[in-house]
Amino acid sequence: MSTESRANTAPPHGSGWNAAASCIQPLYNLFVAAEEVVLTVDLPYVNQKSVKLESPTNDSFEVYAETTKRITFHDLGAKHRHGEFTCYHAMIRMPVPVDEKHATRKFKRGLLEVHLPRTK
Amino acid sequence: MSANLSGNDGLRIIETGSVPKGAVVINGLPDVGLVGLLAASHIISSLKLREVGAIESDLLPPMIVLHGGEPKAPFRIFSGDGLAVVISETVIPGSLIRPLANGLVDWAHGKNVRLMLSLGGMAVANRQDIDVPKVFAALSAKELEPQLHGAAEILEEGYIVGVYGLLLRRCAETALPAITLLTQSHYNYPDPEAAGAALTAVNRILDLKVDVSELLKRGEEIRLRSKDMMHRTHEEMNKMDKSHEYDLPPLYG
Repeated sequence: MSTESRANTAPPHGSGWNAAASCIQPLYNLFVAAEEVVLTVDLPYVNQKSVKLESPTNDSFEVYAETTKRITFHDLGAKHRHGEFTCYHAMIRMPVPVDEKHATRKFKRGLLEVHLPRTK
Repeated sequence: MSANLSGNDGLRIIETGSVPKGAVVINGLPDVGLVGLLAASHIISSLKLREVGAIESDLLPPMIVLHGGEPKAPFRIFSGDGLAVVISETVIPGSLIRPLANGLVDWAHGKNVRLMLSLGGMAVANRQDIDVPKVFAALSAKELEPQLHGAAEILEEGYIVGVYGLLLRRCAETALPAITLLTQSHYNYPDPEAAGAALTAVNRILDLKVDVSELLKRGEEIRLRSKDMMHRTHEEMNKMDKSHEYDLPPLYG
């Protein structure tokens, strides 16, 4: 995946729907524990094989996933809005340093869970 | 028809249709996992309930929601089959919680409501590992336990933060029977499966036959449609320190 190409896909004005990049900003949550940071991301319409994780900088973590179908605002009942979506993308700032090389993940019921060990 | 509830900070319940006397009120307000809102919305569509009123307040955001091209208040009441279902499609600001709890209970007394049934979520960290979420019940009076018909486990100790907590206390103080069902759910992700478990409990308690399968079948679509509402609800939950519900009460018996 090209990190650079997605770096500008942050949705405008805080909206979670970036029609220009066809990307949805997913809901996510971070939990900082003593030994690790646990990141969860809600990814409906995603197959776990399409989930890609990267750590482009020391203090950020990037999640990208393609959707299993093309999603339009029309499908979601908003007929006055135009746009179709084929991916999720989130650039998440880590509150503490983590070792992304030893990250583990699981994916169940469309929910991604990533365990990132904290660096000593 | 409009009820201006004096002493409730300008909360207005505007009735455009009739709510039968002795109804059961079901509250589906935005909260943990949007469990109540999703479950109550499914009841409304499954039972084809009619819109009979709106709740308005200057403390709500100045907005309307369009449905079928018609302007609607985001905070509405639906009725039918001996039920009155209250839902909100906008986040309830913390400043509205007390007047809302008091106003709803006053209004319910005026309607001789026989039961106030509130639906919410109870966040659990390992939610994705739970196949069938458990339902817990907090009661306004212990005598209500037989009405659960075993559909929920009694919540004996703990905190309830937000409108459902104040509603339950106000109901207890004014002798209005009330049950708050809290279903294990995600905290800040819409959780249709938890809503389904809550509905299964509601079916048993009220002897209804609401089909839960459609809610589960459309789970992914519902999660995506509800994403923005969940995001705003999460922000409001943080403001009211919803995480207090994880705390243990310090007193012991």
